[in-house]
Amino acid sequence: MPLTHFQEQIKQALHEKRRLQIIGNQSKVALNHEHQALDMSGYAGITGYDPAELVVTVKAGTKISDLKQELSEHNQMLAFDTPDYGDSTIGGNYACGLSGPSQPFFGALRDFVLGIKMIDGQGQQLTFGGQMIKNVAGYDVARLLVGSKGLFGLVTEISLKVLPLMEEKTYSIEMGQADAIIKMNEMAGTALPISGCAYYQGKLYYRLIGVHPPQSAMPEDNYIWHKMNPFRPEISGKQKLWRVSVDSMHPPIHNTLLIDQVGARRWVVSENKPDVSHVDLWNLHEKTRRPSFDSHTKITDIKRGLKSVFDPYEIFY
Amino acid sequence: MNVVQELLHRLPRDQVIVDDEQKAPFECDGLSAYREKPLAVVLPANIEQVKQTLAICRKHSTPIITRGSGTGLSGGSLPLKNGVVLGLSKMSRILEIDPLARTAVVEPGVRNITISQEATPYNLYYAPDPSSQVACSIGGNVAENSGGVHCLKYGLTVHNVLAIKVITIDGEELVLDYRDDGVDLLALLNGSEGLLGVIVEIKVKLLPKPDASQLIMAAFEKVSDCANAVTNILKSGIIPAGLEMMDKFSIEAAEAFAHVGYPLEAAALLLCEVDGNQYQVEADTETVSRVLKENGAYMLKLSRNDEERIALWQGRKNAFPAVGRLSPDYYCMDGTIPRNQLAHVLDEIERMSKYYELKVANVFHAGDGNLHPLILYDAQIPGELKKTELFGAEILKLCIDVGGTITGEHGVGVEKLDSMCQQFSAPEIEIFHKIKRVFDPENLLNPGKAVPTLHRCAELGHMHVHNGQLPFAHLERF
Ligand SMILES: Cc1cc2nc3c(=O)[nH]c(=O)nc-3n(C[C@H](O)[C@H](O)[C@H](O)COP(=O)(O)OP(=O)(O)OC[C@H]3O[C@@H](n4cnc5c(N)ncnc54)[C@H](O)[C@@H]3O)c2cc1C
Ligand SMILES: Cc1cc2nc3c(=O)[nH]c(=O)nc-3n(C[C@H](O)[C@H](O)[C@H](O)COP(=O)(O)OP(=O)(O)OC[C@H]3O[C@@H](n4cnc5c(N)ncnc54)[C@H](O)[C@@H]3O)c2cc1C
Repeated sequence: MPLTHFQEQIKQALHEKRRLQIIGNQSKVALNHEHQALDMSGYAGITGYDPAELVVTVKAGTKISDLKQELSEHNQMLAFDTPDYGDSTIGGNYACGLSGPSQPFFGALRDFVLGIKMIDGQGQQLTFGGQMIKNVAGYDVARLLVGSKGLFGLVTEISLKVLPLMEEKTYSIEMGQADAIIKMNEMAGTALPISGCAYYQGKLYYRLIGVHPPQSAMPEDNYIWHKMNPFRPEISGKQKLWRVSVDSMHPPIHNTLLIDQVGARRWVVSENKPDVSHVDLWNLHEKTRRPSFDSHTKITDIKRGLKSVFDPYEIFY
Repeated sequence: MNVVQELLHRLPRDQVIVDDEQKAPFECDGLSAYREKPLAVVLPANIEQVKQTLAICRKHSTPIITRGSGTGLSGGSLPLKNGVVLGLSKMSRILEIDPLARTAVVEPGVRNITISQEATPYNLYYAPDPSSQVACSIGGNVAENSGGVHCLKYGLTVHNVLAIKVITIDGEELVLDYRDDGVDLLALLNGSEGLLGVIVEIKVKLLPKPDASQLIMAAFEKVSDCANAVTNILKSGIIPAGLEMMDKFSIEAAEAFAHVGYPLEAAALLLCEVDGNQYQVEADTETVSRVLKENGAYMLKLSRNDEERIALWQGRKNAFPAVGRLSPDYYCMDGTIPRNQLAHVLDEIERMSKYYELKVANVFHAGDGNLHPLILYDAQIPGELKKTELFGAEILKLCIDVGGTITGEHGVGVEKLDSMCQQFSAPEIEIFHKIKRVFDPENLLNPGKAVPTLHRCAELGHMHVHNGQLPFAHLERF
């Protein structure tokens, strides 16, 4: 599918004063039938990859699983452990800024973004950043738009830094939650080559990479990192799932299902929103949730302003 | 009252500099070929005074040029004749170090190296280490998204900043945190060169010091062998903490300056540092040594202890001043290129060097493709600066042509405005201007820097043309 196809669709929508809803694999957004879908799932494939340059360039609709597969064939990986909720696309994960357990050690998704190609709300093709690990020419739009949830423009291609695949070993220690939070932070302050540190169902789990000193903790299967899933069918009724980001040393929060990222991320189930500053509702049933620009703080004014830079006629819903 | 009178009236007298002689040190940054005297220099001691200064300047529609330590190499903090310099050197307190959470909260005027020094008792450090780290400020680092020799493994400034406090032109205080949902404003402010707001507080990540670090120095007879060695080290699955390359001329200059035992006969020198726990470092040292030999290194030297390791780095870290000693002036370029283009790019630079009759020393952050050609010139010779700038612009053009970029870490400032026209299309540059307007509609914060006007690009005829369509065809061309 050529890019002009998407440009046409956007220009058509502009002309007809209709809105478009960008979708990757729709694992989050439920289609709103008032709007037309701009479906990226068919726009897939790797367009540039030279392992020695540590950079891969992919079309936004590429499935995370396909990308990981290709990289692993060259002994490389996406180092931010981006989650795959079943055929998630790289564009969708970029638009939601999703990183996993290794974030405190290697960095978040946005840390690995080197450049993007996009189409803005007027149908213009734009390129920001590139394939270089270092690049400070112009504002860092490629990173700015991480987390933009499809509201600012259509991201068509993403260049990401990749790292060598490393051998991993997982260990566990049984302990209480409060102790685990302290223990994790202490461990992260040592030279141990850690790439993940979580607390799940009464155990502190940590993952080491490469060659490392012998451990007295219990060896575990690496697969445990995929099983630490906060989505549970039994969460129902008034109970909601919250993704909470706190300082890593934050004390235990009631009804925590999983602590990840050395304590900085907590998955909490409760009726009411936990009372800390960075909380996202993860809607399990009705899938739609869009950021709104309604409040009148300076930050929202700026975000609203930036939205109109990229999408002045509010084409993207 | 005019703006200067009002500043003098409202702020402590010793924090407002109006005297010509005292203003002199603020006339330029590290790109000293460009100089200008501002109306006044204000040195606020706290956030309140920053806000006051902004309010007064705004009232008088006076441009504000934020300044850290003035070590920038692209003229980012070059004053404007009708502007006020806001120097943040007095805001230099470390506000908090949390050893368990491994974070530090600091004011913008804190020098880069001070953070690591203060964190040492906890066995922690702040990773990004620009060669200017003894002088440059952390606020300037954020504003430039600066890098250093250890950035290949540990990231640039943007990767090591967790939150910042910014004062907008209208005096509002924004806290931008890496955990914020939605667009990544924290990333946007990194590298924004003082155009979007004044950064007044920074929370940085601290890392545990590695148990062990090993420096491996390798000498090559051929530049291309050295370039291949770099590629093959990265292919072998190792991400070294530092991977730096120097050409013959830089080796000679650095050795004459630092006397650290660099091999003078080598065509290229590679410094590769691996770090981590003892076990890993031993394994990596073995792999790296093997790859180096396989790629034609004729001499390998392993640092035997930390003293020797640090000494060997001294040559590289002082490469700029070392080259500076050999010539009245030098001009430092900062392009990035795909590593596989290195040999080609160095050949081309050599050719240009002959054409312009100007010598060049090349130092290279080889791991991340960031090339610093240092062009030697003499500003006293009429026309030589102009010639040097043409040479520099041609190097940047070459970087773009091979798929790279015009600046890896030094920023655009005033210096690379013309080259921006080559790297970006008109609609892209227009987006940059609109972003600026969201934050600073009256264009008072560091105006004229970092992003060229479309008019300038059109005049230069440098406009990057997409699909054969001339942008802004209605604009008059010259
Ligand atoms: C039950 C459940 C709940 C979830 N809740 C949340 C949540 O609350 N917050 C959250 O951040 N993530 C949430 N996620 C994760 C996330 O929604 C997706 O799994 C992930 O983004 C990848 O999905 P996708 O490719 O299917 O994208 P989609 O689900 O189709 O799209 C995700 C978002 O990305 C945008 N998008 C997709 N592709 C592009 C593109 N090429 N250019 C621009 N924008 C694009 C869409 O407009 C949409 O806003 C949830 C996942 C599940 C399974
Ligand atoms: C010998 C030498 C070696 C160098 N080596 C390196 C290197 O290895 N890597 C590298 O990346 N750079 C290097 N540099 C360049 C320079 O040191 C960096 O760009 C540094 O980050 C600038 O910091 P500063 O405090 O001196 O900022 P200044 O030069 O004062 O300002 C730089 C820019 O930042 C803006 N600014 C400063 N502080 C703030 C603030 N608080 N809020 C908003 N805007 C602000 C200014 O307006 C200006 O645009 C080197 C320079 C020299 C002279």
